[in-house]
Amino acid sequence: MDPASSGIQEPFDLIRLSLSERVFVKLRGDRELTGVLHAYDGHMNLILSDVEETIVIVEHADGVPEGQATVNVAKRKVDMLFVRGDGVILVSPPSRT
Amino acid sequence: MSYFGFDNPIDLESEKRKFLESGGQGSREDIAVYTWGEQGYDGLGDELHEGGDELNDETFGGVGEVGKDFDFSHTVLPSDDLPQAAPSRAQQARPQVYEQPPSQPVQSSAASRPTHSLESVWDDKSPFSVLGRMNGASRSTEPHHPSHTPSPSQSFKFSPFSATSNEPLPAGQPLGGISSGLSKGAYTLEEVEAEMRAQAALQHQQQQQQQIAQPTSLTHTQMRAQIPRQGTPQHAASPPPRMHPHSQSPRFHQQQQQHQIHLMHVQQQQQERQLLDLARHRERQKLLQEQQLLQQQQQQQIMEQLRLEEIERARQIRLQQMQSANHMHSPLLHQRQSPALSERHPRSVGRQSPAIMGGVGALGGAPLEVPLQQSLAYMPHDIQLQQRLLAEMAQAEFLNSMQGGPQSEREIREERELQEMLRAEAMRKIMEAERSDQKRRRKQGKIQHMSRYNDLMTQSDKDFITRIQVSQLVTQDPYADDFYAQVYGAIIRSRMGIQTQDDRILKFGSGAGVGLGPGQKGSGRRPSAMQRMEAQVERIVNNAKMREKEKISLNSLQGALGKTSGRSYKAAPRQLLQVDASSPSPSPAHAHISKVDEEPRKDGMSAAHEAAKIGHQALGGAANSEGVIAKDPLKHREALMILERLYDLVLDIEQLRRDQPLPEDGFEAQDAWEVELDARVQQLLTGLRLHVYLETSVPHPFISLLMPIKGKRLLPRVVRHLPSERILTMLTLIIACFHQVDVVVNSPKLDTLEESKERAEVEQHSEVFLSSLVQSVLPAIGKLDLSMLTGLLGMLFKHNDVAAVARTPPGIALLTMFLSRVQNIKEAIASVPMTTAEPELPDPIDERRWQEVFDELFNVLAPGLLLLFPSIRISKNSGGSVPYGKVPGTDDMDQPIWQFLAAMAVHSSMEQQQYLVTALRELVLENVSSVRRGFLASEEEREKRMGNVDIFMRALGLDSSQIAV
Repeated sequence: MDPASSGIQEPFDLIRLSLSERVFVKLRGDRELTGVLHAYDGHMNLILSDVEETIVIVEHADGVPEGQATVNVAKRKVDMLFVRGDGVILVSPPSRT
Repeated sequence: MSYFGFDNPIDLESEKRKFLESGGQGSREDIAVYTWGEQGYDGLGDELHEGGDELNDETFGGVGEVGKDFDFSHTVLPSDDLPQAAPSRAQQARPQVYEQPPSQPVQSSAASRPTHSLESVWDDKSPFSVLGRMNGASRSTEPHHPSHTPSPSQSFKFSPFSATSNEPLPAGQPLGGISSGLSKGAYTLEEVEAEMRAQAALQHQQQQQQQIAQPTSLTHTQMRAQIPRQGTPQHAASPPPRMHPHSQSPRFHQQQQQHQIHLMHVQQQQQERQLLDLARHRERQKLLQEQQLLQQQQQQQIMEQLRLEEIERARQIRLQQMQSANHMHSPLLHQRQSPALSERHPRSVGRQSPAIMGGVGALGGAPLEVPLQQSLAYMPHDIQLQQRLLAEMAQAEFLNSMQGGPQSEREIREERELQEMLRAEAMRKIMEAERSDQKRRRKQGKIQHMSRYNDLMTQSDKDFITRIQVSQLVTQDPYADDFYAQVYGAIIRSRMGIQTQDDRILKFGSGAGVGLGPGQKGSGRRPSAMQRMEAQVERIVNNAKMREKEKISLNSLQGALGKTSGRSYKAAPRQLLQVDASSPSPSPAHAHISKVDEEPRKDGMSAAHEAAKIGHQALGGAANSEGVIAKDPLKHREALMILERLYDLVLDIEQLRRDQPLPEDGFEAQDAWEVELDARVQQLLTGLRLHVYLETSVPHPFISLLMPIKGKRLLPRVVRHLPSERILTMLTLIIACFHQVDVVVNSPKLDTLEESKERAEVEQHSEVFLSSLVQSVLPAIGKLDLSMLTGLLGMLFKHNDVAAVARTPPGIALLTMFLSRVQNIKEAIASVPMTTAEPELPDPIDERRWQEVFDELFNVLAPGLLLLFPSIRISKNSGGSVPYGKVPGTDDMDQPIWQFLAAMAVHSSMEQQQYLVTALRELVLENVSSVRRGFLASEEEREKRMGNVDIFMRALGLDSSQIAV
């Protein structure tokens, strides 16, 4: 199916398809979100519910060679979240089996 | 001694001097004068003489208005005592003097009194006086003085003295003028002072007498008359009140007033403090000294009274002052005390610096009016009051001491109590008055503070801003733009029980309007404000429309001759971007997703694919014998896209329904509206793919649309706009494809206690599907007849594994709905004679067929009857680790099943019922025993469980209470 015939004319159309669906959002600062998308706008501000945020913290210990830094992952859950668009890197529907 | 025939006072002086020097021998005088004149003249004397004279009158009391008005010409004191150079001549001159002053008015005498008397004062025969003049410092030197041959006769003839006395002196007595001058003016300073004092004292006395006679009614004119002649100031001590000297100069008078007011305030405060102290002190001594206390209390009472009156008076004063401050129009008074100041600090008047007050007093008499009268109005009264009260107090004390003895103890006590009460009452009133006063003042201050910026904007300014604000609010579609607020408001209103008038919108003719937001809650100021706002907005919009019309009419002038001026700023902004208008964007509001084609595309790849399939199916046999083109099921993304399109359609239809034209709009509008609505509904139906053959794909496209949660949510919204036969179609489709619905497919995932995202999602979907099903399609079941129900149930059996369907919440709900509807119909049949309202009576064939289908249903479900219960399934899935009854939420989960089984029991035959009882016996017993033996912790749980059991038992005509454990 070519995109034009399927009614998708601009990138935002793809996001629109994911309204009230669970989406995966990648954010700056090594953060990722999954949650149900409720609203978005042209700045890519998002409103998500039932969100799980994953923060990757890379710690460079002194004296440890590059590449051997410890990686910690912090998670937290938020019921409702407003995501400011300037931090959004990508929005995608979660992978389906 | 005159030059060019002019007389000149200096001639006289020189004559006198000559006389003095020569001892009356005129032979030598020529030489002396000559010498003196030539040597002493420096030309300055002229000017000195001319300029110096003006102030003489004032300096020496010549002017009447000056308070220290010693009349130098006055001859009361015996001039005989004074050392006189020529007593004999003075004697001669005296008669003139005597007759002069009385005849002359003060002013004129003062005016006409030249320097002679002064000179005569200076003239004390001492050589220094001559020396002074020789030095040129004398005022009396005359530029043309040196006349070589002074002739006494001439000089006397033109002498000013003759003019003054109006009686030409005899030529033979050249020094008569001098002697008279001496007799008039030769007072010492002490004498002058003494006389002034005497006079002032006299006046003072007179005025005091006057005042005592008429203390309050002293008119302004009287005051003014007295003022100029007021005597020495008396600031030293404030006089006794009654003796207050009103005869002082305005400056001191005012000062004293202020001082007194201040003093009074201080006194008042002191008294109050003393009273309080006294009260406290007396409380302590009360029990010890009753008699004394009685007196004191009475005294106190009077003092309280005094205080009350004082407070009252103070308020009156303040009031007066405020009033007077308001009424003062003289700029001087404004200078003295701005009205605002006086209003804010009414008491502070008394504390203003006397200098300010005095300054005004000195500036003029007129502004004195107000303060003087004001003070006069209250002061004597005030003093009287005080005195009266003091007298009363003394009297009361006296009486008390007189009566105190014979009074019995009890009487005293009673009286004391009474007084105590009265005192308390008075105290309370005072406190109240003070509090209210304070409150009022605070309120006033607050109002003043708030109104600081009042009237900074004119009405037109406000209107202008309102116009700007309102213009931002006006939209073409007020309801949609304000959608959520409108819906919320409607909900709130319905919740509050207010009958909903239509939408809170202010409409203006052609659709444009302003949303008013949810209705107001409180009454009071806001509604009226809202109404005013509405009116204003309406006016503004109407005005704007008028202008618009004007503009249009202006445009219609196009081509007409002559000049028409348009408003250039009204012109539309110049277009800068050239956007290709041909690009498809059908609905501007939702341009993101353009039209999703109703039919699958026949393009390229997928077309070939389908063609291949057709071929395959043609080869394959009769599976799709009716020529149904089997297709791939809708992909998730496709379903999402279709759903978006459908949502747009639903929103359009909803909007269209709101915009339904009114009957008065005419039939054309109505028809056009209906046509449009039908078109949209048709689009919706096609979009839902209800008419696609069942065999087209698995899952069916419609079921695919129900996969995403928003597809499930769409159902109830769509159903509202569909005709009932379409709903039936939908119901049929759902029943036929029930096993394809994701919720049914995934329902086994619910039968576990494992907390997983998947399970949560399935649960959510299941709930949403159930609720939307209950809201949308299931009500349609309630309208079906028996044959239809039988057909639908048969269809369910044909396409689905009913046992599996029955293990899902939506499936149970569906089946329960069927059974209860049939139950209703059966009851209706039983009561046929009564209810003729039931139009279609099911014929026996239908009944028989229904029974067949039900039997089939029973048979299908019977083996796994216990497995219908989710709690049991969960328990089983857990591998026995969670026994039945320990599954959390068992009762809530199982309730629908009990209900369904009850419905089954109602329809069952005897054998079927027995089977049901046998199958469920253990479960029922376990439930009842768990309740009876107290395995369940909470009362709520117990009730629920027993309720569930009873639902089923009652359907069988039994009750849980009959069960013996």
